[in-house]
Amino acid sequence: MSETAAALSRVKPRAGSVAAHTLLVAAALVLAGPFVWEFLTSFKSLTEVAQVPPTILPQEWLGSNYTAVFQALPFGIMFFNTTVNALARTGAQLLLCSMAAFGFARINFPGRKILFALFLSVLLVPSQLLVIPQYEIIQSLGMLNRLPALFLPGMFSAFGTFLLRQFFLSLPAELEEAARLDGANPWRIYWSIMLPLARPGLMALGILTLLWSWNDLLWPLIVTTDTRKTTLSVGLASLQGQYATNYPVLMAGSLIATLPVIIAFILMQKQVIEGIAFTGSKA
Amino acid sequence: MRNRLLALGLAIVVAAVAGCSSGTQSSSSQSSGQGEKVTLTYGIWDKNQVPAMKKIASAFTESQPNVSVSVQVTPFDSYFTKLQAAATGGQAPDVFWLNGPNFQLYASNGVLQEVKVDAANYPAPLVNLYQFNGKQYGVPKDFDTIGLWYNKKLFDAAKVDYPTADWKWADVQAAAKKLTDPDKGVFGIGAPPAGQENFYNTVFQAGGFVISPDGKRSGYDDPKTIAGLKFWTDLVQAHYSPSMQQMTDTLPLQMFEAGKLAMLYSGSWNATEFAKNTNTKNSVDVAQLPAGDKKATVIHGLGNVVFAKGPHTAEAAAFAEFLGSKQAADIQASTGTVIPAFNGTQQAWVQAFPQYHLQNFLDEVSYAVPFPISKNTAVWNGYETDELTKAWSGSESVEQAAQNLAAKMNEALAKESK
Amino acid sequence: MHGTTEQTGVLQRTGAGQVAEVRRRRPGRFRRQNLLWALLFIGPTAVGLAVFYIWPALRTFYFSFTTWGAFGNYEWSGLANYQELLKDSEVRTAFVNTFWFTILGLLGIPISLVLAAMLSRRGRKGVSAYRTLMFLPVVTMPAAVAIIWRWLYSGDYGIINFLLAKIGIQGTYWLSNPQTALPAVAAVGIWSTIGYNMVILMAGLQAIPGFYYEAAALDGAGPVRQFLSVTIPLLSPTLFFVTVLSVIGSLQTFDLVYVMIGRTNPALPQTRTVVYLFYQKAFIENDRGYAAAIAFALLVVIIIVTAFQFRLQRRWVHYE
Repeated sequence: MSETAAALSRVKPRAGSVAAHTLLVAAALVLAGPFVWEFLTSFKSLTEVAQVPPTILPQEWLGSNYTAVFQALPFGIMFFNTTVNALARTGAQLLLCSMAAFGFARINFPGRKILFALFLSVLLVPSQLLVIPQYEIIQSLGMLNRLPALFLPGMFSAFGTFLLRQFFLSLPAELEEAARLDGANPWRIYWSIMLPLARPGLMALGILTLLWSWNDLLWPLIVTTDTRKTTLSVGLASLQGQYATNYPVLMAGSLIATLPVIIAFILMQKQVIEGIAFTGSKA
Repeated sequence: MRNRLLALGLAIVVAAVAGCSSGTQSSSSQSSGQGEKVTLTYGIWDKNQVPAMKKIASAFTESQPNVSVSVQVTPFDSYFTKLQAAATGGQAPDVFWLNGPNFQLYASNGVLQEVKVDAANYPAPLVNLYQFNGKQYGVPKDFDTIGLWYNKKLFDAAKVDYPTADWKWADVQAAAKKLTDPDKGVFGIGAPPAGQENFYNTVFQAGGFVISPDGKRSGYDDPKTIAGLKFWTDLVQAHYSPSMQQMTDTLPLQMFEAGKLAMLYSGSWNATEFAKNTNTKNSVDVAQLPAGDKKATVIHGLGNVVFAKGPHTAEAAAFAEFLGSKQAADIQASTGTVIPAFNGTQQAWVQAFPQYHLQNFLDEVSYAVPFPISKNTAVWNGYETDELTKAWSGSESVEQAAQNLAAKMNEALAKESK
Repeated sequence: MHGTTEQTGVLQRTGAGQVAEVRRRRPGRFRRQNLLWALLFIGPTAVGLAVFYIWPALRTFYFSFTTWGAFGNYEWSGLANYQELLKDSEVRTAFVNTFWFTILGLLGIPISLVLAAMLSRRGRKGVSAYRTLMFLPVVTMPAAVAIIWRWLYSGDYGIINFLLAKIGIQGTYWLSNPQTALPAVAAVGIWSTIGYNMVILMAGLQAIPGFYYEAAALDGAGPVRQFLSVTIPLLSPTLFFVTVLSVIGSLQTFDLVYVMIGRTNPALPQTRTVVYLFYQKAFIENDRGYAAAIAFALLVVIIIVTAFQFRLQRRWVHYE
């Protein structure tokens, strides 16, 4: 910002700053407070949470809710499935979408406009429209209830292609022109020149896809029937079905299911937020 | 960084696709010749029964060493959705649990394989429950009846006598009134719109019916049936039971365990649950259901069935029939989780929790009514939920809701016979 | 060859001119070669999308003209599903509920905007910490979010009613009271997306060049005036993006309702969204033909609403 604008912000009395921080603290409390409550409740007994007025700190820090969660559902295996699902989808999309994006952005071929319009039309279709036949395809491939069923459709993305194409289009063309005049074929150009430059875009797409795959509920719910083949989100939903209003166990389950992502987020917050911001600016 | 990232992506894709085609899963089995190793999958929904089921599976493998059984648990609320999908795709477990409401759907669509059952070994209603078109498709596994569970401490505090086998509806209503203490948030009785545990029983006790014996007509517009429903809505309206909203927010079972409900109609299956819970371990007991115009309780039981399109139907049928043997029944009884269906094996269950008068559940069998089902029970069960919830929450009168329900149910039943 | 910005301009012109000339000399050969390369690059994704997205969309369209029985048996039934759909009050209610979710969901955008503006002010302390805390709901699994909020909303034991009681308000059973259930779930939807929208808006705010504010300040505009005449117009493309995403997302609300509202909840009819109804019809009642018709009705609505938003953008979105 310029000096004048900065001066303006300094002109604002401290009262404004206090008001602002009050609002920000309140917002942070509302947005992050429930997690603290979740954490505290997960260590209480069912009897304790049924007390009015509620206690803040647990009278006794029980681990029994956590053992109940692991006894109810194979959370360890679910964690594994969820991780594989997220990584497979993300890895595949990063590779395939960047290739397709490069194709659309930098290769002029007959029918390019029509094909891209077709890709765009996929964006409009809500996923629920596709699940029944997608399920049918997985079934006919004999892959129901197997790990690959979770990520197979998710390896292909029109959104990822669109996002990265926008990004490629914004890159200056002369690097690539130079390489082409040097006799490099498109694959070399893609691999050695465009991809390194595409790092911000790839990170953004990668983060979004990781997050979305990790939290996906509808598709794993439909396509995996065995609790040992399904993901954490489905596990959590069925824990809800089993433990209905036994909140301490439910809180423990929620914490187990979401803690990995929260920790990963806190460690990589800068990249995550940059990535998300990037998608907004490129759209 | 970019190189590594993409290499990682490629590696994962390759590994995944490779994992597609290869890989022995616990459910896969080689083509069975004589004596070749076979692994059967056994689908169940109650994690509490896993130890018992695994014991039975090992006992079976002892007698047939080339067959091993893998027990698969799917939580109940998604069990049937998943099962139908799996059966459609030819991937259902080799042997699995069915309950009454779903049995005819599977039997009538050729999903199940016939089994051999010695009818003399089980209560007749249970054997009949798993027959279709004169053929036996299910092996009775266990049964349950409904009893009046009550909190002794709350009864003592309100100076109300414990329920006896002679209680009638009026006794329940009077007791509920005395036991309700709004200041403490305690209600006399829990009255959720649950069929098996609550209103089916009172409908039968009032002389009404849910579905006609030929399966073509709904009983909900019958005045006696409506009287059976009113028993519960009256309790809710009088505030001797928590409101519909409150019971959605916190389940009656939890309220009972927390000591907020003095009485709760619930199944024999809760004996294990109550015995585990420190609050209810020694402070609750159970009595037979009070009579309306007559005594009645709903009897229901699970059946073990064989998937007709599985790769090893012979071994699967052998396992299913073993599940109905006395040996299997004894194992079930010893864990105390369910009442086995095999005649004469139930005493072990009764003795599993001596602090409760569990014999009451067995005594009820003599006047028990079979669980109401039809070819596509799930459809009108859904209507029951939709319509009766309105009566319970007071947005519609019981009469109106019951009439609407009967109309919808008759429509659905008409579609079944097409 | 790889020059600075100024040189790039020149290079681009001549570079492009040169390449264009080359292309004009031998057009046929290049186009064929290009086609092959295009196939290599776009092929995998195109095939994948065709198999898993385009074919299923067409197939669902076909299914919407069929009636299903149990275990996957179906038969052609023409327009029956669509006729039924138009008469079905459950479907109508589901759309109404979904619209309410969408409208309420939009309320989150002004909140995100205010927070983004406050965090974007120069010299603001603790931006990173605030931003991280506010982003936590976004990275949390919807199922977990739903479970946590069910607990907060609990009528008898939840902390919300307890705090309300302290200031003298009698709380209700938020999630099973037909009048409060939908707003309660919608509030959670807003809660879980505030951080996401805020981050995107912050990026948009930072992209506004400072000299606009300088000029406005020199003209004597105060902070509010600056916000209205500088910030909003220049932020409008980002606001538009956030709004379109929010609407499309809200129209597809499922996860939260599925986990927070159960089958026997008396408030289900007042909260059931179109996608929830779709799931119920397709996977619980196995009425897949009808479900397909519902899904298509939703698609039509999404297209209409999105097209409407794009038309509307000419009125209020300023592009550079």
